[in-house]
Amino acid sequence: MKKKAITFKFLALAILFLLMVTGCGSNDEASIDDVSTIVLGVPTALGSIEGADSLKAVELAVEEINNAGGVSVDGEKRPLEVVSIDTREHEPGLPVHDALAALEKMIVEKKPDAIVVGSFRSEVLLSAMDLIAKYKIPYICTIAMTPDFQKKVSESADYKYMFRMGLNSPYLVNYLSDTMAFINQKFDFNKVYIVTQDVLWAKGTGTGLEKWFQANGWDVVGFDSYPTGASDFSSTLGNARAGNAQVIVPIFDMPQSGILLKQARAMQVPALMAGFISPAASDSAWQTFEGEVEGLVNLVFEIGPIPLQAVPKSVEFNANYGKKYGEETLAKLSGHGPGPAYDSIYVLADAIERAGTLESEALVTALEGTDMDGVIGKIKFTNDHQVIYGLDPKETAIGAVFQWKTPGVRVPVFPEVAAEGEIELPPYIK
Amino acid sequence: MIETVLIYGLVNSVTLILTAIGFSLTFGLSGIANFSHGGLYILSGYSAWMMMHYIGLPFALAAVLTVIQVGILGGLIYRAVIMPVRGIVLSEVVATFAVGVAILEFFRWRGFVTYDFNLPLFIKGSIGIAGVFIDYQRLFIIGIGLMLAVILWFFTHHTRIGLALRGMAQDEYTALSLGIESDWAATLSMALGAALAAVAAIIILPLGIISINMGYDVLLLALAVTILGGLESTNGLIVGCFILGYARVITGTYLGPEWMEVIYLAAIVLVLVVKPSGLCGKSKELEERV
Repeated sequence: MKKKAITFKFLALAILFLLMVTGCGSNDEASIDDVSTIVLGVPTALGSIEGADSLKAVELAVEEINNAGGVSVDGEKRPLEVVSIDTREHEPGLPVHDALAALEKMIVEKKPDAIVVGSFRSEVLLSAMDLIAKYKIPYICTIAMTPDFQKKVSESADYKYMFRMGLNSPYLVNYLSDTMAFINQKFDFNKVYIVTQDVLWAKGTGTGLEKWFQANGWDVVGFDSYPTGASDFSSTLGNARAGNAQVIVPIFDMPQSGILLKQARAMQVPALMAGFISPAASDSAWQTFEGEVEGLVNLVFEIGPIPLQAVPKSVEFNANYGKKYGEETLAKLSGHGPGPAYDSIYVLADAIERAGTLESEALVTALEGTDMDGVIGKIKFTNDHQVIYGLDPKETAIGAVFQWKTPGVRVPVFPEVAAEGEIELPPYIK
Repeated sequence: MIETVLIYGLVNSVTLILTAIGFSLTFGLSGIANFSHGGLYILSGYSAWMMMHYIGLPFALAAVLTVIQVGILGGLIYRAVIMPVRGIVLSEVVATFAVGVAILEFFRWRGFVTYDFNLPLFIKGSIGIAGVFIDYQRLFIIGIGLMLAVILWFFTHHTRIGLALRGMAQDEYTALSLGIESDWAATLSMALGAALAAVAAIIILPLGIISINMGYDVLLLALAVTILGGLESTNGLIVGCFILGYARVITGTYLGPEWMEVIYLAAIVLVLVVKPSGLCGKSKELEERV
């Protein structure tokens, strides 16, 4: 009797297993064989704020294009389909090969015609370039910022499938140094304290800025780097106060950098905070920090997450994003990633229509000839496949510097052509 | 400058005490290394936030309920997860670590990754002391942290329950022969440790915003100061916290913040080499002498 029961259980499990396997197989086949769909892959750190928001921006663009009839390929209208995979590369200690394995799994199983958003971490992006060279799939990345990407693209034709629409670190330094020149001109400030997160991109940006400050007659009172996770900034703030720093330049993307903001107010350091603090970039930060962000001059890497009247498409993007995902989600939109992620779909659609095919070589040539207006401004690629960033949205893509002002609004203050207000000294340093 | 070092060194030290006291207490009373400490700390932060934003409770009530519920959860973790492997130290560590990771990764999975999760300050504003400005929240941290250390010392040294728990920690069989039930004692110590993690979260998290990775940092800090001070010694914990707290601020001010982590790791390595039982630890002293 007992033997019979065991046999029955074993058979039941075997049948269940077979059903599961055959069920999975049929789903995959349906998706792969659907020739009328143009498949766009989004392999990125979906658990990160930038990755999750970028995927939402991609889905919004895809929905808009599909509602308008799809993309014309050689006279036939075809809808876009998004497939995504979480590479988890934002998680501390995740090895690069794990993120690459996720990317390759997507390429092999879902066979995307193009890849957008892409790597979150620079080292993953650089390693992914060889994988993309192997599979020859057009790839437009929008988050990782290393300038080595362009170096590799310019050095070997194998990497011609790779493009970048997000800001890179040299452009970030340019925006911050231009902002500092603007502050120097307006307030005659020339004593600065740089404080960064102790990670490659932030420290590199800080070092680039330090050189610029020294070359332009500023007195650099101090330059500190805090390990990720640090939660007390009294040393820097005490030194900045003692050294009479007029401007503190923070460069952070760790959540604890919010403590720096609050602690600076608590320690009543009479300096203008101007740089990049990721947790204070979204529209909801005023509420999160209970108004302690007042006066902070912060950077949105690529416009899109902040609507600029000078770029009507950015206003439209914000309205549509809010309509699709709700105003609360819009208020949390990350300052890095969503704008170029949204535009990358339109850039691809435009390139496919001009090429008249999904064939990689033709698509790469078409992408190189991109010249269109997007949410981030004018979109054109350099010879090393980086979108050009500058100060005029009619000529180039742009980032935006804004200042938090009462009653909790982000006022764009730089570049001047897109400014909707002026940088003012907050009440606590007047 | 020296005033800043003195005042913020004190804040750092007491913050460390608050962060680690739950972990140290549980180990001191029951011998359980509760590696879910960081998970419980972050769970407390999110729990209070959810009570305020989803149910609309005032912060004070949400804070009290959080401490109670996380305390109960600590006891339940002992009953459900630790009790079956009680006595196998490695299994206890793995089991509690798994619980901590499960808590933290659950929140990551549920999308608690944005920068919008924070707890309100008790009182906004700051005050100047000897020319150094410090916010009221950090003054609360100093006050509550020191008060808790005194209360816990009194509890473990001058109350019947505290003495029973210490008796169990010192010699389980003798304590059993006197009618002290070991699982009851361990459940209580886990509940107390978890509740203390919640108290720390409620007081410290308003300084910034809540993020999942902080859970791992909190566990590492708790381990570091507990190893430095001596695993089962409350006095050692306090001494260790003051050494590390001041070392971090002095290093940050005079050498640069990038050296802060190096200094505290170096202090731990040094103590482990010179006195493996920690500054005030006694459990391994005999072995060390032998």
